Amino acid sequence: MISKELIAKVLDCALSNGADFAELFLENTYNSTIRFYNGKTQQSVVGKDFGIGLRVFYGKSAIYAYTSDLSEKSLLAAAEAISKADQNDKIITPRELKNQQITNIHKMILPGENVAKKDKIDFIRIIDSTARGFNERVLQVDLTLLEKKQDILIANSEGLHVEDQRNYTRIFTMIIASNDKESQTCFDGPGALAGYEFIKTLDPVKIGADTAKSAVTMLSAKYAPSGTFPVVIDNGFGGVIFHEACGHSLEATSVAKGASIFAGKLNQQIASEKVTAIDDGTIENKWGSTNIDDEGTPTQKTILIDKGILKSYMIDKLGGRKMGMESTGSGRRQSYRYAPTSRMRNTYIAPGNDKFDDMIKSIDFGLYAKKMGGGSVLPGTGNFNFSVAEGYLIQNGKIAAPVRGATLIGNGGEILKKISMVSDNLDFSEGMCGSISGSIPTCVGQPAIKVDQIIIGGR
Amino acid sequence: MYDNEFNAIFEKAKDKVDDIEILLSSGKSFSVRIHNQNVESFDYADSIGIGIRIIKDGRVGYAYTEELSDEAFSLIIKEAVANSETVENLEPVFFSNFPDLEQKLDIYSEELDKVKVEAKIDIAKKLESLALAADKRIFNVPYAAYSDGYGYAKIANSKGLHKESKTNHCVAFLMVLAQEGEDKKSGSDFIITRDFQKINPEKLVDKAVRQAIDLLNAEKPDTGQFPVVINNETMGALLSTFSGIFSAKNVQEGKSLLKGRIGQTIANSIVTIIDDGLHPDGMSTAPFDSEGYPSQKTLLINKGILTSFLHNNVTATIDKTKSTGNASRSYKSSLTVSPTNFVLQSGDYSKEDLLKSYDRIIELVSLQGLHSGANPISGDFSLAAEGFLYEKGVKKTGLSDFTVSGNFFQILQDIEKVGNDEIFNMQSCSAPSVLIKKISISSKSKQ
Repeated sequence: MISKELIAKVLDCALSNGADFAELFLENTYNSTIRFYNGKTQQSVVGKDFGIGLRVFYGKSAIYAYTSDLSEKSLLAAAEAISKADQNDKIITPRELKNQQITNIHKMILPGENVAKKDKIDFIRIIDSTARGFNERVLQVDLTLLEKKQDILIANSEGLHVEDQRNYTRIFTMIIASNDKESQTCFDGPGALAGYEFIKTLDPVKIGADTAKSAVTMLSAKYAPSGTFPVVIDNGFGGVIFHEACGHSLEATSVAKGASIFAGKLNQQIASEKVTAIDDGTIENKWGSTNIDDEGTPTQKTILIDKGILKSYMIDKLGGRKMGMESTGSGRRQSYRYAPTSRMRNTYIAPGNDKFDDMIKSIDFGLYAKKMGGGSVLPGTGNFNFSVAEGYLIQNGKIAAPVRGATLIGNGGEILKKISMVSDNLDFSEGMCGSISGSIPTCVGQPAIKVDQIIIGGR
Repeated sequence: MYDNEFNAIFEKAKDKVDDIEILLSSGKSFSVRIHNQNVESFDYADSIGIGIRIIKDGRVGYAYTEELSDEAFSLIIKEAVANSETVENLEPVFFSNFPDLEQKLDIYSEELDKVKVEAKIDIAKKLESLALAADKRIFNVPYAAYSDGYGYAKIANSKGLHKESKTNHCVAFLMVLAQEGEDKKSGSDFIITRDFQKINPEKLVDKAVRQAIDLLNAEKPDTGQFPVVINNETMGALLSTFSGIFSAKNVQEGKSLLKGRIGQTIANSIVTIIDDGLHPDGMSTAPFDSEGYPSQKTLLINKGILTSFLHNNVTATIDKTKSTGNASRSYKSSLTVSPTNFVLQSGDYSKEDLLKSYDRIIELVSLQGLHSGANPISGDFSLAAEGFLYEKGVKKTGLSDFTVSGNFFQILQDIEKVGNDEIFNMQSCSAPSVLIKKISISSKSKQ
């Protein structure tokens, strides 16, 4: 995409006013989106994201610039601009760039461009017709097939020169059920770091029927109760509780500047002994995996919490400098338009020994949160929220009537200690996570868990 | 600007499409964040992209590129044509040479472009140092930031339309953390403006610090239904979350419960909502929309009565009406409808008046989780909140660790009084504080 000589020249120029590290990130991404609603293909958009991000460090400060103009003149101008932000004598020169070969553990079998658009639309049409056929109250089925091929090149003044290709495929389903007066919406969005072969592993009939069933069920649901109750949070997307309550607060982004409730708590008990939590970017073809992170560091499996004890944070290069620790391969960014920072990959609570049925049986009155929506957290205070998309009351040890979506809130420092049971049915769900380095693919995961007390925002 | 690129694309497309529209946006931005009086990060951006929308045999196709080269232009035309062939929905799309806006908008400040980097860094440093000095309970300033941006847009089509515009603005943002005992609370404030001189760090710090400190050791409210005052910024955030209910595109796709309700009363008679693409203080103010249609002011709710939806040229044609200048797309995306500056008109009451309206009132000062806990179609919301308890107009205690739940359509009817303290928020949504008859609060379990 760009010659090694030019890269070396740009890095050298970026260091010319005393920066002690320079990095170049080049991206050439092909995006394809097909959108289908009202029973018809509505739009199809394809395009190319193309640009370069340059970053230098002056000790613990970072300077970042990006541009889509890859001419030598433009790149050297960008390099010069960032080098001038802080004027010092030049102290280092870049090391010679050495090609680093990576092992591709996320093989792609069927590139999306080799599949006829008609075949893709046929698959989408099965979801649509199944959902519409499920119940007359299904008002709208909105489907989006996203395919992305991201070619990246990362080089830095430590001599790193590495390239990788990431292929993402995801099918997003939104179903609206309505009974004239009201409407309910349900989502489904499986995705993978893989080619179109991933879509072939999915059952479109099941996606259409299950999502339609959730939306129609919620239409007849009453409001969730208000107050503080025990909750069983099911597997898969349920992992969003850990993602929000704890995950973000373990990112160097907030820990390094002391703006996290978990700063300075390594090797301390921060969660119940039942909780072991892992952030793993190495799981084959998983949505949140990569071979290397967006700083070129090989991706790792990082144990965050071991039986309740905090073992590691998620760290990028700059965070590592501030904290005096090594990168955990967690430097991620949406695109060349963002400087990388520490982010989650596939983050999950490890399976335990409790049984789902025993959890339900242990509760006289509470909530069973079957499907989750998104959430957010403020790492500085630990206060988090996440929404339940499909919930049921638990009464006298049994799952009872459906209740409407409600937000659950709490504090990450307290809630992790209230996880009293962890079952054995680990599962993952795909999502997009937003933070200062943009929106990136991440997985949340967990087996079903029981939380003894949480505030439910019902009516 | 970019005449060569536009001419090249028109020339290449000539024999391959029936009609073509080209949209280019480019921008430059700068941002700086300070931590411990050091520059934590410093970002420069220089971005550009071109998107095309073509019509061939009555079908629409899209493609875009961020690489401006002849090869890339040939490729996007080829791809847009291929995409159009898969489209099954035959929308009534046509391009036109829409007239220009009659008035001149003041949306670009040359002065702002001349501000020195040092002055920008100073603002961010000052935000942090003033905040840390303001109160000993402020222990961290996670965000003390300044940013500014310049944007340029150009649109042209094969019917002869040719328009361009530029705009700029700057933002100062501050978030503080306060601690007392084990309890930690945050506070924040910001300003968006085109006038650098209007940034007053003292004022931002005062508000952010006060918010965090006043919420320290806040209590949990009782669970139940209470009258609330939603403060101006929070009301703006709520309003922008649900602004999609007025989109004619959502109405046509079955995603708005306002379908078929034009002319009906949907809100209390003191509620008037306007989409104002010409507002002098709005960040979304522009001379034309993403189809090149001139911007305008559209009355959506007039004294409680639904009067109009927001349209682009396609939705307007379907509804046999005129566009309201709300076509929206980035060069990367397909055409939709978006509000410009969304305004809930101010009423007669001061905020103090609102807070005195009932013996016990909860003032809501922040809502969290709007992207997940609010359903923009059903109007239902359940959100984490913070606020204050007032008794007979006197502030009694901070409140935290609770949720508020309700329905936006119900809120429109339950607004009893509208304040006079209108303010724009980050989403180009302007609202005053409002008094709501009652809303569900959930926290402590009932005994």
